[in-house]
Amino acid sequence: MSKLYTFLKYFFITFWTVFVVAPFLWAVSTSFKDFQSVNSKVTYIPWLDFEPTLEGWRVLIKSPAKGGVDIVEPYFNSIFVTCTASLISIVLGTLAAYALSRFTFKAGFVRNNDITFFFISQRIMPPIVLSIPFFIFLSTIGLLDSLLGLVVVYIVLLMPIAVWIMVDFFNRVPKELDETALIDGCNPYQAFYKVVLPNSIPGLIVAGMFCIIFGWIDFFFAFILTFTEVQLLPVKVVALNSSITPWWSLSASALVSVAPLIIVAFIVERYLSKGNLSGALK
Amino acid sequence: MEEQMAKIDLSNISHTYNPLDPKPTYALNPFSMTWENGKRYAILGPSGCGKTTMLNIVSGLVRPSKGEILFDEIPVTDLKTEDRNIAQVFQFPVIYNTMTVYDNLAFPLRCREFTKEKIEERVKSVSDTLNLSSFLNSPARKLTADQKQLISLGRGLVREDVAAVLMDEPLTVIDPDLKFRLRRNLKEINEQYKTTLVYVTHDQNEAMTFAENIIVMDQGEIVQVGLPKDLFEKPKTTFVGYFIGSPAMNIFHSTVSSDHEVKINDTTIKTNSNLGNLKDKNVKLGIRSEFIELAEKEKSNTVKIKLTRVEDFGNFKLLTGKMGDLVIKSKVEREKPIPDGELNLYFPPEKCCVYSDEKLV
Amino acid sequence: MNLIGEKISYKPDEQFHLNDVSFNFKKGNLYTILGRTLSGKTTLLKTIAGLLNPDQGSISFEEKDFIKIPVWERNVAMVYQQFINYPHLNVYENITFPLEQRKLSPEQIKKDVDEALKTVGLVGFENRKIQELSGGQQQRVALARSLAKKAKILLLDEPLVNLDYKLREQLREEFKRIFSEGLSQDTILIYSTTDPQEVMELNGEVIVLDEGKVLQKGPAKEIFENPSNLKVAEISNDPPMNVLKGSKNSKNLNFENISLEIPNHFKNLEDKDYNFGIRASEIKLDENGEEFEIELAEISGSETLLHLKRGNSKIIALIEEVMNFKIHEKVKINFNANKFYAFGEDEKLVSSPYGGTNG
Repeated sequence: MSKLYTFLKYFFITFWTVFVVAPFLWAVSTSFKDFQSVNSKVTYIPWLDFEPTLEGWRVLIKSPAKGGVDIVEPYFNSIFVTCTASLISIVLGTLAAYALSRFTFKAGFVRNNDITFFFISQRIMPPIVLSIPFFIFLSTIGLLDSLLGLVVVYIVLLMPIAVWIMVDFFNRVPKELDETALIDGCNPYQAFYKVVLPNSIPGLIVAGMFCIIFGWIDFFFAFILTFTEVQLLPVKVVALNSSITPWWSLSASALVSVAPLIIVAFIVERYLSKGNLSGALK
Repeated sequence: MEEQMAKIDLSNISHTYNPLDPKPTYALNPFSMTWENGKRYAILGPSGCGKTTMLNIVSGLVRPSKGEILFDEIPVTDLKTEDRNIAQVFQFPVIYNTMTVYDNLAFPLRCREFTKEKIEERVKSVSDTLNLSSFLNSPARKLTADQKQLISLGRGLVREDVAAVLMDEPLTVIDPDLKFRLRRNLKEINEQYKTTLVYVTHDQNEAMTFAENIIVMDQGEIVQVGLPKDLFEKPKTTFVGYFIGSPAMNIFHSTVSSDHEVKINDTTIKTNSNLGNLKDKNVKLGIRSEFIELAEKEKSNTVKIKLTRVEDFGNFKLLTGKMGDLVIKSKVEREKPIPDGELNLYFPPEKCCVYSDEKLV
Repeated sequence: MNLIGEKISYKPDEQFHLNDVSFNFKKGNLYTILGRTLSGKTTLLKTIAGLLNPDQGSISFEEKDFIKIPVWERNVAMVYQQFINYPHLNVYENITFPLEQRKLSPEQIKKDVDEALKTVGLVGFENRKIQELSGGQQQRVALARSLAKKAKILLLDEPLVNLDYKLREQLREEFKRIFSEGLSQDTILIYSTTDPQEVMELNGEVIVLDEGKVLQKGPAKEIFENPSNLKVAEISNDPPMNVLKGSKNSKNLNFENISLEIPNHFKNLEDKDYNFGIRASEIKLDENGEEFEIELAEISGSETLLHLKRGNSKIIALIEEVMNFKIHEKVKINFNANKFYAFGEDEKLVSSPYGGTNG
């Protein structure tokens, strides 16, 4: 009985792993193929099945003059924009969320919940609705087609996520914890960074992860708000496509696009289970 | 109205959460017990004593590692909760917020496709008992916490076939002021419907108020089953003596000096217990602070103490005294004058309990 | 050099949370604030701590205006009824936190923390995580943090209310020891509770609070013996003092068709209607007594609480024995008229068996 159970358990896990990992392996294998290997017949293993070539990868770093699609600069642009916007969103969003969680705001009929909803409402609108105002706005202040402009737009897009996640998180940290810190001699800023923040690490990580993912995968705004000066990775990857689909370099670029998220996931995963608040709550 | 009820037999039940271990630690040590039809039982003990495991075994959430459960002589050990004809009430009221009180109460019957007339009759009867009649048409979410808890209970009672209603600390979230009403309701229900009620709690007050039979548990073991009076006057183990009553029972290390006498330090105390057959002469003497009397002067069965503290509790005074390094507490009437310094306290022999290896002799 | 509050009011919404509260707390003394849930106890403690600013009134400590001093510069400590500790720190770090905040020397910190750990009985638990502790232990950590600070004002807000009763009994016993041994003579200790028995046991100066208003101040014994009005009599007794609407004439006390002889302390009372008060413990079962119907019999460890009804009156009797009764059964009881209180129709105390009158 229990042996069968163990068998089924491992069988299922193995099946699932293959299911998840196979596309990646497929992409890795494809990235080392050339036109011939992709179009002749189904092949899997380099050297055995087909002759591996680095051409798919070389295209990514070759300059357009030499027939490549240089993604190195867009790659670092994307990293810069995503990280900067995420970081600023988290810092501002966390502070806003803390205020929304701890103080009562009154302005006419507007209360805390309305303000929180206002933040979220930015994400309810279809991006297309925002694109034209953003375009006009950036061109007016002369930030169209610039990294700084993109950072500004991404902050607008990412901060609601940070606020939303962190408000919910702070609401679950008892107010008495801040009060105890004040009584124990912390001023309000110390209470925030010595006591509230260390107990909010899981929330910060979840919020940060969402910001990075949403920033990294955005194609729409990067496409509309940039032309020639600045390019981001998703836009450049799309530009790879031509009359003959270059499966090898598309696979290679897909892999390098996913890589940072995988690294982030590995770093974050170990913190997610850590630090829980049960001791403070009850 | 006669209900179809069941006697519940727990036969050689034991439970461990690591059954594969050759020397498993038991969450519930082996025991057998019968719950009579229509009585009120309370399972009482500190957290982690196994009381919830016991309840879950009866309800079917946990399958015992060993032993059998019978409802009216029919084994149900392998039946799932929903097939066992029991109703459960949890710490938090479980109600359907969007439904009216009537629909909430009728729900279990509708699920079982009873006729409209039958449903109406049952719901009316139950809502009368629970004082919910005037709310039948209001949405359930508008009621107070104790009324919601009554609905949870009512949903169990509308079915005529329930063998028992199991309650796990049902008064935890109820306001102290409202607890009184609910306790009363529970007793009335039991008297009217003759439903077997089982109540799990860590609060001695609740258990004793509610139940005729109290099952005291400690570390996976049933240490005493009895009436409130028995638990108080003749606790079967030193744990029960400590756990029941406030302050806890006075317990002193002593040695057996004759068939009926023990010695605490140098004072001989006569008891009504037969101590002749005890192998181990090291025993403990227990006496409730309520039963210790102030004596005018030294006589037999008195101990001399040095008064260290007198506390005025309003309804009574609590004396704390020392005899050598032993601490003795005694409850006395508030108005009684207390002499300073040394006191003689009388231990009535019939109130002295002797414990050998922590168990009552 | 005292902690003095004058005419403090706090009204954040429609209702007063504190209404014209004044006090004068002296160093080295224990003060208990007795009141039901939501009576303003926590608000008062938070106001003293500086977590809330009153709308009106003043607080001064050591002749300084306390309201102008922010929380983190007031030398206070507070233990909450929820077990509040820093979840990201272990037991030892929790206790050192306020001391490091004050930049004491490492030697001093170590000495103070070790002493506090010893006082609350948590030696050996230094490296435990807060989440691994039981409720009682968590509350000990919170207390140790407060003690180690050697604050001049120590506030305890219903510290035992969330514990199981046996643990509560045990900790209360330890509290009494800690309060008498572990505190310096400069400390003002303020303890809030809903439990009259706790108030009697701690035996300090009492402030009775209800709906934000101070109803009575005085030593525990005085509050118990001479409650200044009906409300205090109810709050300061568990079970609450029974109230019987009745009247006195030249010969008898009358209520619910029951006549009692006039006790000595009522001899000089005017003949008119009164609210009579009698404690549950002064009502005894008696074959020749008056008939009441049982609504419920509650049993605690050693006592039985009978909820009784007759006519429009509902009373509670406390019987010092464990007895079994059925609901709706009739019992006969006897009132000890010598223990009767008389409250006027305005609910103020007119006469008490312990000689107190109002004003």
